[in-house]
This record gives sequence, structure tokens and C-alpha cells, in this order.
Amino acid sequence: MWLYSLIFYLLAAVILSSTLLAITRRNLVHMVIYLIISFFGTGLLFFLLGAPLLAALEVIIYAGAIMVLFLFIIMTTPSEGDQEKLKGEDPTCQSCGPIRLLHTGLPILLATTLLVVAGLFIFADPEIRVALNPAMASPAVFGRFLFERYWFPVEVASFLLFVGLVGAWYLGRDGLGAGSMARVPQSEEAESENRGEA
Amino acid sequence: MKPILLLLMLFPLLGGLFSALFGRRVSRWTVERVACAGVILSFIMALIAFDSSGGKHQIITFFTWFQVADFSVLMDVRFDPLAAFMALTVTFVSSLIHIYSVGYMKHDEGYVRYFCYLNLFVFSMLVITLADNLVFLFLGWEGVGFCSYGLIGFWYKDMKNASAGRKAFLLTRIGDVAFGIAIGLFFLIFNSLSITYINGHADILTPGTMTLFGLLLLWAAAGKSAQLPLSVWLPDAMAGPTPVSALIHAATMVTAGVYLLMRLFPVFSGSATAMAFIAVAGTLTAFYGACAALMQGDIKRVLAYSTISQLGYMFLAVGAGNITAGMFHLVTHAFFKALLFLAAGCVIHALHEEQNIFRMGKKLRLALPGVYWPFLAGAAALSALPPTAGFFSKDEILISTFLHAGIFYKFLWFIAILTAALTALYTFRLFFIVFTGESLYYEEESEKSVEKPPPNMIATLWPLGVLAIFAGLLNLPAGWGGGGWLSEYFLNIPGAAHHGEIPHSVENGMAIASAVIGIFGIICAWFLYGPKGLLRRPDLPGAWGGLFDLLREAFYLDWLYRRYIAWPFEKMADILWNRVDREGIDRGLYSFANTFMLFSQILREWTSGRLSGYLFMLFMGLTVILCLLAINFSIL
Amino acid sequence: MAVYGQVILLGMMLFVIGGACVLIRRNLIMILIGVEIMLNAAGIVFIAASLRWGALDGQAFVIFIMAVAAAEVAVGLALIVYCQGRSGSINADTYNTLKG
Repeated sequence: MWLYSLIFYLLAAVILSSTLLAITRRNLVHMVIYLIISFFGTGLLFFLLGAPLLAALEVIIYAGAIMVLFLFIIMTTPSEGDQEKLKGEDPTCQSCGPIRLLHTGLPILLATTLLVVAGLFIFADPEIRVALNPAMASPAVFGRFLFERYWFPVEVASFLLFVGLVGAWYLGRDGLGAGSMARVPQSEEAESENRGEA
Repeated sequence: MKPILLLLMLFPLLGGLFSALFGRRVSRWTVERVACAGVILSFIMALIAFDSSGGKHQIITFFTWFQVADFSVLMDVRFDPLAAFMALTVTFVSSLIHIYSVGYMKHDEGYVRYFCYLNLFVFSMLVITLADNLVFLFLGWEGVGFCSYGLIGFWYKDMKNASAGRKAFLLTRIGDVAFGIAIGLFFLIFNSLSITYINGHADILTPGTMTLFGLLLLWAAAGKSAQLPLSVWLPDAMAGPTPVSALIHAATMVTAGVYLLMRLFPVFSGSATAMAFIAVAGTLTAFYGACAALMQGDIKRVLAYSTISQLGYMFLAVGAGNITAGMFHLVTHAFFKALLFLAAGCVIHALHEEQNIFRMGKKLRLALPGVYWPFLAGAAALSALPPTAGFFSKDEILISTFLHAGIFYKFLWFIAILTAALTALYTFRLFFIVFTGESLYYEEESEKSVEKPPPNMIATLWPLGVLAIFAGLLNLPAGWGGGGWLSEYFLNIPGAAHHGEIPHSVENGMAIASAVIGIFGIICAWFLYGPKGLLRRPDLPGAWGGLFDLLREAFYLDWLYRRYIAWPFEKMADILWNRVDREGIDRGLYSFANTFMLFSQILREWTSGRLSGYLFMLFMGLTVILCLLAINFSIL
Repeated sequence: MAVYGQVILLGMMLFVIGGACVLIRRNLIMILIGVEIMLNAAGIVFIAASLRWGALDGQAFVIFIMAVAAAEVAVGLALIVYCQGRSGSINADTYNTLKG
């Protein structure tokens, strides 16, 4: 059992550190790479927690389709993304120090408070120390369960994806927004969505 | 009988509606003919109705106007000799004025509006004349007010004319208030609004109520008939076209008040106080009008004040309890005043809209004999020279006043006969200045020319001239060999005079006295205002200037209105507007709003429009909710 | 095997990291990434709960979360491209037309 625990701690460390690194990157391509690592870790975690189908989907959709989509957008939009300044980093700004502190410090303070309060909730639960026994829901069982119990939400979700497709197509049309550039990721989107639905 | 009376009222209404609805689409010729035809047909109907009724009372209901519980208003008419005679006069005089208007308004662009109002005016007056239900009558009463407003301010582009129309409307409205109150009281007491019913049951009224009704109706009639103190609108009403003045003065508007008093005579005839009030109001107005007419320089204003004065006589007749005399004078006055106004219109027309009498002179007599002679007939009738119509009608009023019980009425009689002398004086002052002697002003060649009025204008003067002289035959006193036809005809009218035998000595004496006084007035006028007259000038010499101003401004009644009614009202409105509304209410509201504005300015800072700001708020809210939950579950 | 509370804690920390990303970064793409991280964190918690209670419903919900995430990213990125084409910037603070 300790092997399981070891793998869990390892995965947790990888996920947290890579996510933290990702959100602090200025270079968006680096950010995407770190995030892909994080999603791979999450996929492994899913597998560890007994959801092999979801693990596969996590890798395919999150680490695959979504991240590729982001990569496409990052590469097709002008370079602003590379040199994004943090809030208050305007060189013309005279009193930028305190403002920058305010703009980053306050959210961090807020996030810490949220974390502390939520942690208090978790540790207040007496059953929090229940150990998770390894189990596995095979894709066939899970698929049957899904289409028996949740066939209607699945249809709703597919409709949502369809609406998303139409919305993305509409926003990316010629003459409405960025023009032809936006069409390339669109086809990718459609593919990824089809895959996601499958 | 019913269709005849219906048509009698409907013809002018249809004529007016035709002008209003189709007047712009058809030719001018059609509009003029339809308008005239409406009134002339109405006159023919009045003749037929007059002939076939034979002096009987008839009440004919057309239909129910509206009904609420036991309060019902019927469209019904009461056709009695009084109404028959009045309808005849109104339609006859109106017909002539319509025909005259065709010539007078030949060059005016607003002819559709003009003839529409004119027809509606006649219709409204016929409603007043015939209506039995007081609310129905009130409809005509207000219709007359509205049409007069529209016609007095006919040339509304000039501010002065528009405000004259407004003044007439407002002042007659003051009278309408009293009429409205009276209608309400009638319904309260009689539970009916039928004139017939009210007159038939007038004996249930207490003397106090009778006095109240008398005063209310006097007030109402004073507004419409321009009696003191509500007389100031009539001289200003000259702003309208001259035929309109003739219509207002002779047939339709101002006689409505007197007619109302005659119609409802039994309601107040039992109250000596009310009768005295009516007589006093009439006498004072007659004197006031005659004095004011004496110094006017505008031909139409002279005639306007003379109308006020003559209406005063009619009120005096009602106050003396002699409706026949009042009605007689109303009719003869309608004839000769219409004649004078129409002749004045010819003069004004001939001199290119010149109304100042001192710019006229013998050139008019030479150029317009067709106007000169009818005008002379009208002036003679107005001055009550024997044997014109005005002589007999005025004489009858004087006799009734003289024979009325009480020394008080003797005093009124004295003022009335003094006024008769003044009447002759101012009438012939007008006549001499307009038609004899030289103009006081140097004239340019172009102004000298006298334009001949169209023949249809002149033609309408003659029938009126004949009537002004011979209408006296309608009610010739016994002493003159007449049978007093009108008295016979009005015998069954409630409240018509039953004085019994008039002593021959009084009758003859009165006739001689008024004849002498009238002729004396004319002789004075000749010496004062003739071609070589002493006072033939637009003002009075030396120390008399003050008197001149007093009379010319009609005892400063207008000024008094402005000073003591209009000015405080304006001041009050100004205070209410500036002090109360703007500085009180508005400022309070603004400061109230500004307080909110201040708060919202603070709140506004939060809507920075920055996405990160909103997201921050969102997470802050999440944190706060979690904290609250934690506190609630006693974890924190 | 891992303790239930530890997995929940992991999901929560990921969620807060995503939230901090949304709050701190001004790049629209980074804000969208933050949202993705938060959605992913929610998925982890669902899977853990699914194992804890032995019910497959939690895993079913992760499927829906993924569908929502995919749709959201598709529309979101299309919007970003559109905004960038319109105003030439993907900085969140340049879009302040809601300013009162």
C-alpha cells in the first residue's frame, strides 16, 4: 500500500509544482508545456484513483486538444503574450511599486484566505482520514453506467458542444473579427470536440 | 313640427360641418354658398315653424343625450312665442350677415375657418334659443363662447387680436361659473333641468332662493351680455372682422344673457331684491356705456360701447318686470345695431381698413350714398327718434320703469332717460364726424380714394334699414293706433308684462319727453360735433382732458382689472412659480437627487470596467460566503 | 493508499492556484488557463469522491466537466481572437467599456 501512497504524493508534487510554474511563466509557450505536464500528472492520478477511461480522456482532451488549441492561439496572436507585464508594471507609472503590490498582493492574500478556510472545512470532517481502497471501474462498466443513468445529460452535453462549435464558427467568420487567421484553430476545435464527445 | 325644428337647428350645424370637413377640397364659391344656404334655410324653417305654431307652447324631445340614475339630459326644445320670435330674429339677421360676409371676406384666405365658425355660431345660438333642458342650453352657451373666441381672434397672427379673443373667452367663462352653479342648484331643488318644469314650479322657491337664483343668473348673463362689471371684453372684441362684430352684437352672442333671464324669468321674478339688482346693473351699464361711447375715436368702439349701453336697457326692462319690452328692444336693437355695424364695415372697407372716425368726412357721404342713408336710419333708431323702431321699444322700457312701484325705480328711470339723451348725443357725434365735414388729418392722394364696396354688402343694408325704421309696428302702443301685436303674442309667456292699462297721460308724456330729449341730443351733437362743431377733435380742450381720458378709457375699468385682479394674480403666479416651485420644490428635489448622486459617485468607482476587478469581487464574495459558513458551522 | 482528505486538499490547492491565476494575470489567455485549471481541480475532487463512496456518478460528472471545458475553451478562444482582431490587444484591462 505504501507504494500507492508514494505514487500519490509524487503525482501531487508534480501536479502542484508544474501548475505553479505554469501560471507564473511569462512565456506562454513555456506555460503550455508546464501545463501539459500537470495534465499528464492529473491523468495518472485519475488512473490511480480507478478511472482509466477518464485518465485517457484527460490526456486526450486536456493535455491534447485544449492545450494544442491554446498553443495555436498563442502562436497566431501577435507577440503581446510573450512580454505580458504583470499588473502595475507600466514603465511610465510613477507610483507603481505600491500599486503592483496591491494588484498581486491582494489576490494572493485572498487565495491564501480561501485556502485556509477551505482547509479548515476539510480537516473539521472527522471522516477525512478514511483511506481510499483501490478499485477500478472498467471503461465498459463505466460506459454502460453512463448511458443507462445519464443518457440525457450526455445528449445535453453534446448539444452544448454543438452550440460551442457554432459560436466559435460565428465569432471567427471573415469580416467579423480577426479574419482568416481564426479559421485554422477552428477546424482543430471541431475535431477536438468530436473526439471529446466520443 | 318636429322635423321643422330639427332642420332649423341642423342646417347651420351641417353647414359648419361641411366647411370644417370638406371646405379645403371644394371651391371658395361652394363654401360661401353652402354657409349662406345653411343659415337662410334655417331662417325659412324658422318662418314655417313660427307660422305653424300659432303662438302655442310646444315641447319636443329629439332624443336623450345621456342619463345617469334619475339625472337625464334630453335634447329637447321648448318652442314658445319667445323662442319663435328669437329664432326668427337670430336667423334673419344672421342670414344677412352671412351674405354680407361673402363680400367682406372676399380677399381673406381664412374663409373656410371663418364660415365654419360663423355657421356654428348661429347653431349654438339657436340651441340657446330653443333648448328646454338647461344642460342642452349650456351646450349652446359654451358653443357661443367658443365660436366668439375663434372669431374675435380670427386674425390670430396679430398678438393683439389673439389676446382679445382670449379676454372674451375668459370673461364670459367667469359668468359661466355662475350659470353652472345655478344649473346645479336647479337640479338640487327641482330634481329636473327642464325650463318648462322649473318655470312651472317656481312658486315653491323661497324668496331667499329666488334672490340667489336672480343674482346667479344676473352674474351669468352679465358675463355673456357684457354688463358691468364684466363688460370689458366687448370693446376689445372689435378685433375680429366687422361682420363678426355685427353678429356678436346684434344676434348671437350678447343677447344670449338677456334671453336667459327672460327664459327663466319666473325663477326670480318673485324676489324684489333680485329684480332691483338686475335693474340697477342694467341702468348703470347703460349709463356707463353711453358715457364711454361719447369719447371713442374708433368707429367700431363707439358702436361697441353703445351695444353695452343698449343691453343695459334690456336688463332694465327685465328688472322692471317687462319681458315684452326687453324682447322688443332686443329685436329692434338687433336690426339697427346689425345695420350700423354692417354700414361701419362698408365704411372701413371703403377706406382701406381705416377705423379712425377723424379720418372720415363728407367724402364718404358723397361717395357712398347707399351706405349713408341706411346708416342715418340706424342712427335715428339708436337715438330713439320717433317714429323709428328704437323709439317705441325704448319708450316701452322707460314707461315700465316709470310705472314700477317704488321711488327707487323713478330714480333709475331718471338715469335711463338721461342716458337716452347721451345716446342721441354720441350717436350723432359719430354720424356727423363720419359723414359730414372734413377729415382732421392731412391725407395722401392714395388714401383719399374711396373704394366702392361690393353690391351684396350694400344690398344687405337696405332690409335692415327698413326694419330699423318700421319694426316699431310690431308693438305699436295703443295711443299710436297700434294693437300691440307683440304684447298679444307674448301674452302667455310666463312673466310677460301685465301692467293693466297704461295711463294715456303717462304714455303720451313719455313719448313727448323721449322725443324731445332725443332731438335735444341731436341738436347738441350738431353744435358740438357738426362740420363746424366746437368739439370736433379727438380730445377735449384744457382742463377737460382728465374727463376725456376717464371716458375714453371707459372709467379705467380695464386698468382696474389689470391692477387689482390680473396684476395680483400674476404676482401670485410669479411667487408660486419662482419662490415655491423653482426655489422650493424643484430645489428640494434637486438636492434630494444630488444626495443620491453623491452616493452613486462613490459606488461608481467600483464599476471600473476592469475584468480583473470584477473577478476579484467574485472571489472575494466566495471567500466571504465560505467564512460565513465556517462561522455558522463553528469551525473557524 | 492515499487518504481521502489529501486528495481533496490537492484539488483545493489546484483550484486556488487557478483562481490566483485568474486574478493576478492580465492576459486573457492566462485567465482562460486559470479557469481550465480550476475545472480540472474540480474533476480531481469528483473522482476522489467517486472512489470514496464507490459510486460511478462522480466519474460521469467529470465527463460533463470535460465537455463544458472543451466548449468553453472553443468559444473563449474564439472570443479572444475576435477581441484581439477588434482592438489589437489581449490585455484584460483594455476592455473597460463597462466603466460607469
